[in-house]
This record gives sequence, structure tokens and C-alpha cells, in this order.
Amino acid sequence: MPVWIVINLVQPILWLLLFTQVFKSLATLPGLGGFSYLQFFAPGVMVMTVMFGSAWAGMGMLQDIDMGVLSKMLATPVTRVSILMSRVLASMIVLIVQALVIFTIAIIMGVHLETGAPGVLFTILLISLLGLGFAAFSNGLALLLRRAEPLIGIINLATMPMMFLSSTMMATSLLPGWLNTVRRFNPVDYAVVGVRDLVLHGYIWSDLWRSLVVLFCWAVAGMAFGLMMFRVKAE
Amino acid sequence: MAEQNVNLCFRGLRKRLDVSFLLPRRTKWSILNTDPLGRLGAIANIMSVIATHQLTKIYPGGTKAVDGIDFEVNAGEIFGFLGPNGAGKTTTIKMLNTLIQPTSGTAAVAGFDILKNPDEVRRHIGYVAQDVGVDEYGTGRENLELYGHFYRLDGKTIKKRVEELFKLVDLSGYEDKIVSTYSGGMRKRLDIAMGLIHKPDVIFLDEPTVGLDPQTRVHIWEYIHNLAKAMGTTIFLTTHYMEEADHLADRIAIIDLGKIIALGTPNELKQSISGDVVTLSPCAVKDAECKEVIRHAQSVLSGESFVIGTQATDGELAVYVDKGESAVPSIMRILAGQGIEVKTISLARPSLEDVFLKYTGRTIRPQEGAHTTYAEMQRKRMRRQR
Repeated sequence: MPVWIVINLVQPILWLLLFTQVFKSLATLPGLGGFSYLQFFAPGVMVMTVMFGSAWAGMGMLQDIDMGVLSKMLATPVTRVSILMSRVLASMIVLIVQALVIFTIAIIMGVHLETGAPGVLFTILLISLLGLGFAAFSNGLALLLRRAEPLIGIINLATMPMMFLSSTMMATSLLPGWLNTVRRFNPVDYAVVGVRDLVLHGYIWSDLWRSLVVLFCWAVAGMAFGLMMFRVKAE
Repeated sequence: MAEQNVNLCFRGLRKRLDVSFLLPRRTKWSILNTDPLGRLGAIANIMSVIATHQLTKIYPGGTKAVDGIDFEVNAGEIFGFLGPNGAGKTTTIKMLNTLIQPTSGTAAVAGFDILKNPDEVRRHIGYVAQDVGVDEYGTGRENLELYGHFYRLDGKTIKKRVEELFKLVDLSGYEDKIVSTYSGGMRKRLDIAMGLIHKPDVIFLDEPTVGLDPQTRVHIWEYIHNLAKAMGTTIFLTTHYMEEADHLADRIAIIDLGKIIALGTPNELKQSISGDVVTLSPCAVKDAECKEVIRHAQSVLSGESFVIGTQATDGELAVYVDKGESAVPSIMRILAGQGIEVKTISLARPSLEDVFLKYTGRTIRPQEGAHTTYAEMQRKRMRRQR
């Protein structure tokens, strides 16, 4: 129902409004390179919206399992890939719309987009790959666990540190050394770095290529995991 | 003697007659390779829509849900799979539907091996699960159309079939209503229609009337019956309701603890209990003393020449006799002579319930009522964890 898309948008907009107020004086730190915290944080909010949104995608699968929709579908000639893909893509479409709305609001609030319209498309590509991976992993976990409680637990356990162990909220030069090492293993960070480049600095291809490749692998890994769970646990 | 002759005759036939060319090309009978009787079996199998061969499922943890069952379902018949909760009915249906893999053995459904050719099996079957798996937030039409696309039917065919099916299950006028406004019976009918959109060779109905009120149940029976007659669809249905199997099925397999313990038409099964059933109770309350009295009565009556068999249950004794009318007075007299006072006595033609009792020594649902819902909940939870 479309109304939920709007309601789901409220939280990221709150992030955008509140965080940028609380951390306003951070802009005086040397690491932010003279950008306002709003300018710096807006790409992070977009990535977070997609991450949190897609990480919960498995709850829909769980509902389908509970209501018997899934086993009914599995007895039709529809391939497992299609069933997984349809769920993942459906959540993607919603999230891309949300991300675009956040982009627009950020621009209205005064964020300057260095790369213009092509940058928006590139951003969509990066965050779609990130979200695809999360949604696929989440659906796979739903198939594996079959219950809401452990799924909710794992999603919370995974997304929180993934947000903090990245440069979402703070410039890389201001992060402690160990965190700078850890974030190298975090797909969320690659999305943030890529989108931030596009918003703040323009096309830094060394970063963008790395982000694209890593996020692509992340998406493929998620799909592979999801499909494997169909094999292992599908009724 | 006669049987031996027939047997010899067949053995000769088998040697001379290779009929494998008669099989449709698409058919891959793994049974043929393993079963020395294969070729002979194949003649019969041409008409069968489902044939299982030592089908077995052992769940992790060692539960033997289905234990090497063999049966065939003929084209166009309604085949009932009757057994108590946990007998292995749903597990069997899920194996035949390719939802789970057998631990050993195999089966052919619509001419395709469930292990080697699961995609083809899926194309030719319809599955109506125990849970009504419809999309609550869509309309009836949207639900049906979605399934039409699953089977890659073209738009025109789907439109035509949707109209036919809504008529068949008596939902005309509700096509464009959201499913969450449907009643339980309407949902089940939509669910059944969704399994029929592609005109499957066989449709699997897993406990089609569980959780519905008796009136709706009778309606659903009518639809199932019409369906078989109107479309000539083969129907494989599981149930733990005696009257449902009796009412609907052309042939019934009784399954208990993962094994088929009896198979035949409802009448054949009832006739397997020769004569009549006299059910009597010598006690007002079911206690230990009652049990003792029943055991005594059982041992006394078993010795009588007119008694074919006896079966004691909780508080009652079933006595199988040739002629019920003349047996009742005799039973009363004999028991009175033993000092046993009969409190209630009834005489009936054997029912499927008696058939089940005869083969398993139990009634099909020993504890009905509050426990059923709890057991069903437990079962649902177990199913999810698998």
C-alpha cells in the first residue's frame, strides 16, 4: 500500500533533519573538507535507508511461508530464482523511490550534487546493488530460520554495526585506525564512499570502480545464499 | 492352483512380450530399471497418473514419516488418502509435488519421475495445500491470473479460464473483490480454482475441508465432486475425516504410521470386515474396572463360534459377527451368564471407522475436541521448522 512508502520515508528524513542539527559543529573539523555536515551526511542517509529497508525484506518471505503461499508457488513450474528475484526486485523498486525522494529533499535543504543527473543514475546503481544483496540475504535467512524472532535478532545484530563500522557518519580521515581497517570488509562502506564521491567530489574512478565491483559481488553472494537456502530448506 | 497357473502364464508373457515401446516417449520409468516386474507393471501404468515405488521419507532426527509405500492412482479417479494426524499423508503429498525429496524410493506423477524430472511434474499438477495460500491483499481475479502466468498461459486463455473457474467454484460476482473480504469457504474455493487454472492432469488436495464448518464442508465436497465429473481431473486427496473419504473417494488407501495398511473402494474395505459390527459397553464410567470387564467379555465372546473377531477400545467392545440380528440376543445371554451386565449395545453395518479399527486396533482420532486444535498447532509448528 502506497501510504507505507511515505511513512517509511519519515525516519530517514528525521535522520537528515536531526543528525545534521546535532552534529552541525562537526563541520568545523578538518576531515570534512569544508563541507557542511548535511552535505557530508546526505549520501550516508540514502545508503542507510536502502540498507535498513532491504535488510527487513525477509519478513515478507516469512509471511508467505506462514500463509502457505510459498509452498503453493514452489509446486508450480516457476523457478526458484524467479521467486527470489521477484521479492528482491519488489523491495528494490520501493527503496529506489524512497532514495530519490530523500535525494530531492536533501537538494531542497541545500545539498549540492557535484555530478548532476548522471550521478543520480550512478547512485541508484550502487545502492540497488547494496540493497539487492541485503534483500537476498534476508530472504535466504527467512527460508533458513522460518521464524520471526531469530530473523529480527539477526537483522538488528547485523545492520547496526554495519552502519557504525563504516564512514557513513564520519570522514575516513577522522576514524580510528582499526575501524578504517574493518570498514574495508563492509559492503555498506563501499556504497557510502561511492555515493559520497558522486555527491561531493565528482567522478573519482578508482573509488567508483572498487565500489561497483565489491557491491556487485555482494549482490551475487546474496542471491547465491538465497538460492542455496531454497535448496537446503525449501519445503 | 488356479492362481499358480495364472502366475506361470504371466511369467511366460513377460518373457515374450516387450511392451516398453508402448510407453509415451516422455515417460521415464525408473521403476522399469529396478523392478523385475517392470514391463508387466508398465502395462497397467499407462493408465495410472501416479505410481509410487517404495516411497520413503525419513526426517532428520529419524522420524520415519513415510515407510516404503507402493500405490497407483488411475486416470480420472478420486483417490483418497485416509489416516490420522501424523500418519504421513502430507509428507507423501509433498514428495509427489516435488516440494520435498524422498529419502529413498521414487514415484512417477503424470508420467514423469519426481526425482529426475521435477519441472515437468510441476507443469502437470495442481496443488491445493492445507493452508489457504492466497494473496489476501489482491482480488480473486488477480490471484487466479497470477497463477495463469506461472504456467505461461497466454492472456486470452487466462481470461477464459478465469471466467470458467469462477463459475465452477460458484464465486461469480466476487472476481474483483479483495480476498481479505472473502469467507473461509470462499477462500478455499478460490484456492482450489488456483490449482486448476492450467487444467492439470492431477490435482492434489491436502485436507481440503480442515478447519471449515460442517455446512461449508458439504459444499466443498460438492465442488470437488463436480470438478471430477465436469473436468475429468484425477484427484488425489488426503483427509482424516472418514465421512469425507467415504463420500468422495472412488478408492481409498488407509495410511497409518507411514504405511498403507489397506487399499480399495470404500465398499471393498467395508466388506473386508465380514458381517456386522455389534458395539457394546458394559460400564457406565470408563475406569480400570471397566477395562477389566471388557477384557473378560472379550475373552468369553472370542471363543464363540458365531463371532468372527473382537476389538476392544476405550470403554467399548466391537464384536464382528455374521448375522447381527441373531447375534445380539446370543451375546446378551452369554454375557449375562458371566455376570456381565450390558449397559448399551448397538448393531451396525461396518463403517470405514471399523475398517480403520480392524487394521490398526485404534479409532482414527482417539482424542477429539480440544486436543485436535492443539495437535494441529504443534503440527504446523513442526512443518515450519522442517
